[in-house]
Amino acid sequence: MTTYAAFTHALRRAAPAGAVSGLVTAALLATASGAMAQTITVWSGYPELAPFYTHVAEGLKAENPGLEVRVEAIPLREHERRIALGLTSGSSGALVLEMPGSTAARYIENELLPPAPDDIEAFVRADGNFNEFFIDQASYQGEVYGVPLFRGQGALFYNTEMFEAAGLTAPPATMEEFTDYAEKLTVRDANGNPTRSGWSMRLSGGGQGIAEKFWINLHQYGGALLTEVEDGKWKADFANEAGRKALGQYLENVHTLKTVTPELPADAEAFEREQTAMFIRESWVVGDIAAKAPDLPYATAPLPTGSIALPAQLYVSADGAEAEAAWKFALATNEPENLIWLLDNVGWLPNRVNVDYSPVTDAKPGFSGFLNVPEDYVFFTLPAIGPIEEVLTRLAARLVEAFGNASLAGDDAAIDAFLAEAAAETNSILEREGLLAQ
Amino acid sequence: MLHRRLWLFAALAILPTLAIFAWVRLFPIVETLRLSLHKWDILSRNKPFIGLANFQELMGDRLFREALLNTSIIAFGVLIVTIPLALVLAALIHHRTGSRFGPFNESAIFVPHIVSLVPAAMAWKWIFDAQLGPLNALLGVFGIPAQAWLFDPVWSIVCIIILCSWQALGYAVLIYIVGFRSLPESVFEAAKLDGATGRQAFWHVAVPMLKPITLYVSVVTLISAFNVYAQALVLASDSQGAPGRQVRVLVLDMIENSFRNYRVGYAASEAVVLLVIVLSLTLIQFGLLREKGRR
Repeated sequence: MTTYAAFTHALRRAAPAGAVSGLVTAALLATASGAMAQTITVWSGYPELAPFYTHVAEGLKAENPGLEVRVEAIPLREHERRIALGLTSGSSGALVLEMPGSTAARYIENELLPPAPDDIEAFVRADGNFNEFFIDQASYQGEVYGVPLFRGQGALFYNTEMFEAAGLTAPPATMEEFTDYAEKLTVRDANGNPTRSGWSMRLSGGGQGIAEKFWINLHQYGGALLTEVEDGKWKADFANEAGRKALGQYLENVHTLKTVTPELPADAEAFEREQTAMFIRESWVVGDIAAKAPDLPYATAPLPTGSIALPAQLYVSADGAEAEAAWKFALATNEPENLIWLLDNVGWLPNRVNVDYSPVTDAKPGFSGFLNVPEDYVFFTLPAIGPIEEVLTRLAARLVEAFGNASLAGDDAAIDAFLAEAAAETNSILEREGLLAQ
Repeated sequence: MLHRRLWLFAALAILPTLAIFAWVRLFPIVETLRLSLHKWDILSRNKPFIGLANFQELMGDRLFREALLNTSIIAFGVLIVTIPLALVLAALIHHRTGSRFGPFNESAIFVPHIVSLVPAAMAWKWIFDAQLGPLNALLGVFGIPAQAWLFDPVWSIVCIIILCSWQALGYAVLIYIVGFRSLPESVFEAAKLDGATGRQAFWHVAVPMLKPITLYVSVVTLISAFNVYAQALVLASDSQGAPGRQVRVLVLDMIENSFRNYRVGYAASEAVVLLVIVLSLTLIQFGLLREKGRR
């Protein structure tokens, strides 16, 4: 975790782009000889990234006129299903696949993804390109399998005008302040029902996102959904005081203080429409706001103690000359010009360190909350274990029920019982897969 | 000899169709049955045989039980809403066949069945929206407080029943109209001569005579409703989260277990349970309606 913190600081004092582009250019030239008529397909789980991959493909077109790049960017959950079906059936042609290391591990274990060729591995390991954290995420048992690209990192987005109107001069610095602020920022109708949430929390929907968001809040209290107790062995770690505080805060805001309700507009869309005063999200929202609500008065701030960091890498599933073209594309995404374009136009944080992002970060203060973090800021990521999706999805289903259960609010014993039952389910999944720590 | 040649020709002619049917219909069912007895993570080459362990685990799986309950409520809810409503609507449309609005009525009822599911579900999602939806606005006119349709555990299931019924209704009405048109006029004339009112003729003549149609429509509607998936997914999904309560249904649970949890064998055992339920219900429906039809 500390190495990752060092990375973010390195990012802020990044080297000039021109001085570091040579390595990528040289690597591209080294592989340019194989440029014939080839078609590769890029599978992404983020529709907003489609213009980025198209931009990279257009950049490659000049020196590779025969290379056709198809970009297929669809919502994440469908993307995950597509990968599972596409890779196992082997009928999807030459693919560049975007996914986190926690997902890729399964495919690598089953020899469905090849290791990166030597020149790609050299680029990933080259001194100064990536922090050790990202090299680890792109590797499996010490061998590089992917090219690091971007990461999902959380920060607080808050509406500065609403804060000012509520007499709040700085973003919340503790989780207790989050609740206090939420109460002050909530707007209510004549009956006391909230019409604008003070703090938009993820309370409903499907999939593991609910559990991930819960983990971010839990992290602020020093807890974790899963902890690695011994090498490769894990256990649930949320049936404790940290879990009680995190879940208790959700329940207090939903049922006791009613600063947010499940049916109120939520997430980035609500923030952009000024239907919520603050929420925690990844940096892509900066790009989304710039595109959809450019006049929105907002700022970002780091979370009290740390954040999730979910790095996404590019992997390749192809043979022969197409594999060469696919790796070349993956490498091209890391050209400084393309990474700056990614940050400027999409907003996801690039993982490469030795690129000067200041032209973008200076012009868009919204990135401040992601990059200007304290020295002791602690990051966590999802464990690269087989059942991680099942653990999170099942916990998410339980959390939705809990968030809707008013009788849990303020009842520590009931919250503890809920957490104990949920942790037992998590541990039973780990045990079934031989991953439970004794 | 000629008879044998004809039989051989017929067999050869039908063989390609049978082969395709076996490949696309029978093989997946057999393969699903086989997979349900194995542990397979979709990625591994190993598929160890584990007997009935998947089924044993299913019995204790609270998400599966919830999905089974929700799916059953939705399926029977759709059946209960669709069949009587379709019968009445078909009777009314049949009664007004001669009117100049006849074709419009038939088309208007049938259109929801052919509209693409996802945009239709999105439209219903907007209708049910707690903040901006027209349904709450309409209720507000009558002083009824706004409901969180897509977030309440009960209302969210009712919303899916309404959406599925809206879609199923057109097809059911169409089949019933065909049924009404095939009924002999003489029977209704005889009933009229005996002094039966229109309502009595409908209830005591048309409904009993339409039992084969009711059997077919109810079987198709029930099977279709047990396979509910996209409706539940769209009503609860959004590109940016916080959209609605995810009503867990069997197909959704199967897909989650297959492609998110990588437990294809386990998902196959769910599919087998669904198959057994649908088959059993179909047989019961056949039994009930045929038995009563003979009386």
